[in-house]
Amino acid sequence: MSMNSRKFFTNIFKGIAGLALIFSASPGYADEHQVAQILKQLQVHGFLSQGYVKTTGNNFFGHSNNSGSFDFREIGLTASLRPLPRLQLSGQLLHRRAGEGSDGGIRIDFGFLDYNFMNTPAVEFGVRLGRMKHPLGFYNDTRDVPFTRPSILLPQSIYFDRTRNLALASDGALLYGESRTDWGNIAIQAGAAFPQVGDKDTETSIFGNTVPVRGDLKSRLSYLGRITYERPDGRLRLAVSSTQLNVGYSPGQNDIFESGSFRFSPLILSAQYNAERWSVTSEYALRYSRHHGFGNSGLDRSSTGESFYLQGIYRLFPGWEAVLRYDWLFANRKDRNGKKFAAASGYPAHSQYAKDLTIGLRWNITPSIMLSTEYHRVNGTAWLSPLDNPDINDTKKNWNLFAAQISYRF
Amino acid sequence: MLFFADSALSSDNAVEVVTHPGTNVKQYLSRNLLRSVFSMRLRTWQNGIPIRVFVLPDDAPLHSIFSKKKLNLFPYQLRSAWDRLVYSGTGQAPFVVHSEEEMHTKIATTPGSIGYLSRARIDGSVQVIHVNE
Repeated sequence: MSMNSRKFFTNIFKGIAGLALIFSASPGYADEHQVAQILKQLQVHGFLSQGYVKTTGNNFFGHSNNSGSFDFREIGLTASLRPLPRLQLSGQLLHRRAGEGSDGGIRIDFGFLDYNFMNTPAVEFGVRLGRMKHPLGFYNDTRDVPFTRPSILLPQSIYFDRTRNLALASDGALLYGESRTDWGNIAIQAGAAFPQVGDKDTETSIFGNTVPVRGDLKSRLSYLGRITYERPDGRLRLAVSSTQLNVGYSPGQNDIFESGSFRFSPLILSAQYNAERWSVTSEYALRYSRHHGFGNSGLDRSSTGESFYLQGIYRLFPGWEAVLRYDWLFANRKDRNGKKFAAASGYPAHSQYAKDLTIGLRWNITPSIMLSTEYHRVNGTAWLSPLDNPDINDTKKNWNLFAAQISYRF
Repeated sequence: MLFFADSALSSDNAVEVVTHPGTNVKQYLSRNLLRSVFSMRLRTWQNGIPIRVFVLPDDAPLHSIFSKKKLNLFPYQLRSAWDRLVYSGTGQAPFVVHSEEEMHTKIATTPGSIGYLSRARIDGSVQVIHVNE
């Protein structure tokens, strides 16, 4: 069932994209001048970054402990074409290397068609079909573009890089609308889509890394939504966003797991205030997750995690920005200090929380070249990747992370 | 010293919003409408012509003055709004020109265009748009 619906969305996307191109670019309808006009609407942007991470105690983005790691690279190419004012086709290719969790390769980060049914000064309404980044919080839609982040690493309590792919992007349909008035703009996005599940990262987020997984994960219909309010001058921005991501499992031969299902439903509240010299941003999340029907009492349970950060940015001089942030994450809000978990599992209690104090400095050398650096003092390991730190008992409770990154864009 | 911006040319009249003379928009536009235009949310003028937005680079003093005086937005807010659109695929970026001469030429010759110029550069080949509070 889910495969059929998935094909259905994919075929719709291909069909409409094809029609749009024929309609807009075929010589039967348009002369060369018009084709040239359409190609003028093609915009290509890109970015390229190289990072360095050095940690004490644990690994982050590769073998960063003590020796330091250059295993953090982001390369993206973004293109958009607007053959008609109402129609936009957009896509982004992404190469990302960040330790064992993201080991390179090129993937389609997003690729979709956007049709704008209505766009007046007061109201906008449209639909998007294809692969879209989840509209989650303030940063998820552009999380791999260094220039859009307040720091090298996004606050890991909400935008964890540990197991990121499930909550990253989905294939489906999304409706969007915006109302613009003198007292502010309200934008709504809501959709249904199939998340991406075919990778090691998602497998680890569902089963952990201690047992071999013999079966296959199945993408199931999932739901996305975000409401944003913005004052006309953009000083105040507020958002509520949520997803309900559904994943099924078909067991393999001699599997210890039955055909269960996994659900992940984060609810994120976001607020930002922007002044000339400073900005304050805060986000709070409740992250509900549930394993059901795997026939394994250790796995079949539900819990709610909790995330929060408070971040201040100060613009020191033109082009220079300092960031200060306190970020905390609890894997289970009913066991914040991890003691119950430790008693039941024998694993360290500090794997159930992470409190991260970050201070950073960023220099926009030119509008297209940026140099950034930051220091994290972390208590707890809840957002460490088990792929970079295979032995949980070997992790250190208190650790430090230093990162530097140079980024270019065009 | 160009410290956050506007000391050198700080009179409100130093910068004006300009459009292609054939764009045929009203001579007075509301500040909110201009914000929708320059933050790349509005795609066409009322008569259906696609809007073409031209801006100077982020660190150009005139860009900062325009952004603050005409839109009451800080340049970094415009930059974040554009980046959110471009890198999520939900919109397009404005065209960046590298001098006021280039801005003048583009506005005068591109139907549907809108941008800004310092008052001294304005002549009959572009149309000045006044901002309603």
